[in-house]
Amino acid sequence: MKPEDAARLLQAYADGELDPAASLEMEAALAASPALRAALERTRAMSAAIREKADYHAAPAGLAARIGRSLPDRPARRTSRWIFAAAAAGIAALALVPFLIRPVAQDRLAEELIASHGRATVGQRMMDVASSDLHTVKPWLSARLPYSPPVVDLAAKGFPLAGGRVDYIDGKPVAVLVYMRRKHTIEAFVWPEDSGRAVWQTRTGLNIQSFAAEGMRYWLVSDLAAEELREFAALLRASTS
Amino acid sequence: MADRRARFEQLVLPHLDAAYNLARWLTRNDHDAEDVVQDAMLRAYRFCDALRGEARPWLLAIVRNTCFTWLRANRPADLAGAAEDLAEAASPAEGPEALAARELDRRLLNEAIAALPAQFREVLVLRELEDLAYKDIARVVDAPIGTVMSRLSRARRLLADSMRVITRASRPRIHE
Repeated sequence: MKPEDAARLLQAYADGELDPAASLEMEAALAASPALRAALERTRAMSAAIREKADYHAAPAGLAARIGRSLPDRPARRTSRWIFAAAAAGIAALALVPFLIRPVAQDRLAEELIASHGRATVGQRMMDVASSDLHTVKPWLSARLPYSPPVVDLAAKGFPLAGGRVDYIDGKPVAVLVYMRRKHTIEAFVWPEDSGRAVWQTRTGLNIQSFAAEGMRYWLVSDLAAEELREFAALLRASTS
Repeated sequence: MADRRARFEQLVLPHLDAAYNLARWLTRNDHDAEDVVQDAMLRAYRFCDALRGEARPWLLAIVRNTCFTWLRANRPADLAGAAEDLAEAASPAEGPEALAARELDRRLLNEAIAALPAQFREVLVLRELEDLAYKDIARVVDAPIGTVMSRLSRARRLLADSMRVITRASRPRIHE
């Protein structure tokens, strides 16, 4: 690799954007040039400083709701009139719908949770409030949500609380509590909901578990082994009720 | 229509933070960012049926275009920046006092990013804060990957230069 090419492609290398062949050439060029190595260090340091220190401007609370209200076709408006006329004919069919769509809806929800988990892990934005103190995490979440999620610390049982964030799931903002188990993270998505069945799934290396307790629906997403996640679910359930 | 709304809520709305972050960095103002994002989300909703592939770059491209349209109409001076084809400085003058990036002051760094010309600021934000791949950045800013690469490297160089100047200027002067 010519020196001018190496200088030009250095940032792409630092960003992990070179193909394997070019990366090898770059590594040879780096081995031969202390100046190039110093430049790589500077690039990496600058990149790390920006990621760590530049402001990430998350959308203000309430913006999602305002956008939702501004969309042109709110379903309720159009359905309210004719739904009564159609009621007699359709009610029997409609009554079946929840049973028919539930698995699909639940699948979709699981997809969303996995996507949220993935974004948080990859983007390293797992927690907007990083604290093991439930008296910090709970008020932070309550201030940003229309409900107050139960927050418990399970450090004594080997699952310390690490923090929380607010995410957008199924069209509404929800609380996400982040717990640790050794090097693994467990994300607990929590929102108010009374009913629903317990669900257990495994997908793409992640375990997902859901249960309802004390008027709240919990969805747990983790790369933790199934058994340990079950143990965590049982502890969480016991401590919130 | 209900389908479209569901699709929008599942695929597009989860990227609201990314949309806002980009708009906020481009408009440099909360109030304007909110207006632009609302407008962009409405557009995204209208074109939601045409969404193929990943939603985040798709949405960010809409947000970015809405931002630029808005800036052109309301604050054209913000878009006058460094000319695209300014020859890149062959080798940045990195003295022995090379930047200790770890010690950079948070506020000064944010100000320096905000002061970058828009076309450099946006690639930097998309790369470092949204962690987009070059091909996705290219899609958002509607430019070839080669252009993304050179803008990004120029953005980092400009930022390093301005931080060096700021750091030097803010150092206490003992001999005065």
